[in-house]
Amino acid sequence: MTDVTVHRPGPRAWAALLICELKMVVRDTAGLIVPIGLPVIILVMNASSAGQQMIAHGRTAFDVYVLPLVFTMIVATTGIVNMPSFLAHYRRSGILRRLGVTPVSPVLVLVAQAAASVLQITLGIAAAWILATLAFGANPPVRAGAALGVLTLTVAAMYALGLTIAALSPTPNSSVAIGMVVFFVLGATGGMFGGLGGLPEVIATIGRWLPFGAGSQALSAAWIGAPIESSGLIGLAATIVLGGGVAAVFFRWE
Amino acid sequence: MHATTSSPAIEADGLHKRYRSKVAVEEVSLSVAAGEIFGILGRNGAGKTTTVELIAGLRRPDRGTVRVLGLDTRRDRARLRQVLGVQLQEAVLHSALTVAELVHLYGTFYRDPIPLGDLIESVGLTASRRTRFENLSGGQRQRLSIALALVGRPRVVILDELTTGLDPEARRQMWSTLERLRESGVTVLLVSHAMEEVERLCDRVALLDEGRVVALDSPSGLVRRAGFAQRVTFRTVTPVPSGLLEGLDGVDGVHTDGDRVVVEGRGELLQAVSVALVHAGVTVTETRGEQAGLDDAFLTLTGHRLGTGKETVR
Repeated sequence: MTDVTVHRPGPRAWAALLICELKMVVRDTAGLIVPIGLPVIILVMNASSAGQQMIAHGRTAFDVYVLPLVFTMIVATTGIVNMPSFLAHYRRSGILRRLGVTPVSPVLVLVAQAAASVLQITLGIAAAWILATLAFGANPPVRAGAALGVLTLTVAAMYALGLTIAALSPTPNSSVAIGMVVFFVLGATGGMFGGLGGLPEVIATIGRWLPFGAGSQALSAAWIGAPIESSGLIGLAATIVLGGGVAAVFFRWE
Repeated sequence: MHATTSSPAIEADGLHKRYRSKVAVEEVSLSVAAGEIFGILGRNGAGKTTTVELIAGLRRPDRGTVRVLGLDTRRDRARLRQVLGVQLQEAVLHSALTVAELVHLYGTFYRDPIPLGDLIESVGLTASRRTRFENLSGGQRQRLSIALALVGRPRVVILDELTTGLDPEARRQMWSTLERLRESGVTVLLVSHAMEEVERLCDRVALLDEGRVVALDSPSGLVRRAGFAQRVTFRTVTPVPSGLLEGLDGVDGVHTDGDRVVVEGRGELLQAVSVALVHAGVTVTETRGEQAGLDDAFLTLTGHRLGTGKETVR
């Protein structure tokens, strides 16, 4: 046996990978339009119709309905559309294969990518929040801690779903298409097109359990200071556990 | 236990790999000595890339084992990755990152990377260090790919189609890079279908055909198996008297095809044939003399020419 000691790539490699992922995102301008540009447009379009009517605790309809929806959209587009599409690109082009012959673990790449997109989500939410405050006089959530917790849970759930799509789709290209379909189905049942109230009862009930509806409903409750429905939290937690499990079993690097 | 100079750098034993119904690699065994430049030569689809992927630990063989520097390529992956540099065929990297950024990134994966500037200069990419990967030419991508295979100071390097897509000058530059590697004691496994490259660089060559090693020898040893040393080809205006060339010293065989005559043999073959023809008053056009090369050996050993699809000569 040759005398070779294992050298695990350390924090320098982590930092370098993260910086590279961020550079990739910033230099690919189209990648920034979806998570940041799109929600801002939705925000502006819904601001006028939601109006400034008070709901409770000094929070307007804009605060309670539009902002949670926009924030959930930012998380969902990044998690279930951008994530599988990034993995599809890395798999198809052979970037992961090339990294596979270096000492760096492919998991490290995934973690760097996840960190980069959490930063993207943060940036998207910050941009939407600043615009909402300056242009539409938005108010912060009544239960800020709960809102942050729900948001974190939603991010994890959307990522678990994104990884499941990447793991189960037969080809890299199909994972992008499946991601888009899943996003619109979740969005439609979760009130993205005009609120849960406008949906048939059965669909609205299902929507409350699915991650998009569950996330935006819980965020909405935190905003107004109301108790968060347990169905939503269970839905999000179940998505994380099931999605994470399926992805771990079926994931392929190539 | 420590490696001794006599233990092989790469040892593949009875490798077998099948993709669905197609057998890609069948009973491939080879042993590469430390410090050797070892060539794998074969046509497209002969199983070269699969063999390399099995040796690099990228694929799991259906049967057989591979050890690189004594490390099992599947079980000792973490250790192997430290000492094995791999250049994959047509590798694609992060499109929006520059040459310098990619070399830096890959350097962070290793304990003692080659300094950025030195490495970029050694593959001739200094002028394009700020160019993004997506804007590099095919030859520049190839050179970057080689730089990344070397960045961690590997002790064994696998290069798959080293000079494909390079212009002649860049090709010579790569060859001298490889010769410097040899001097520093690095073991190189070179996959190629370029005869000239293999003849010039490799200490030994394995000829792969239809997933099997059909011959394993030094380039000159393989050439000897071509069955002849020299060949003279010419066309005549008048027919060659029968028996004229067959009786000459050093002639092993004469093949006539219409007005085209091929003489195979040894020694001063071209001179002997020319003199005999002049004495017999035969007018000759288009005379061509050639030394047997690896491609002739390949033809003799496999029945096909290298790089020409399905053409079968036998």
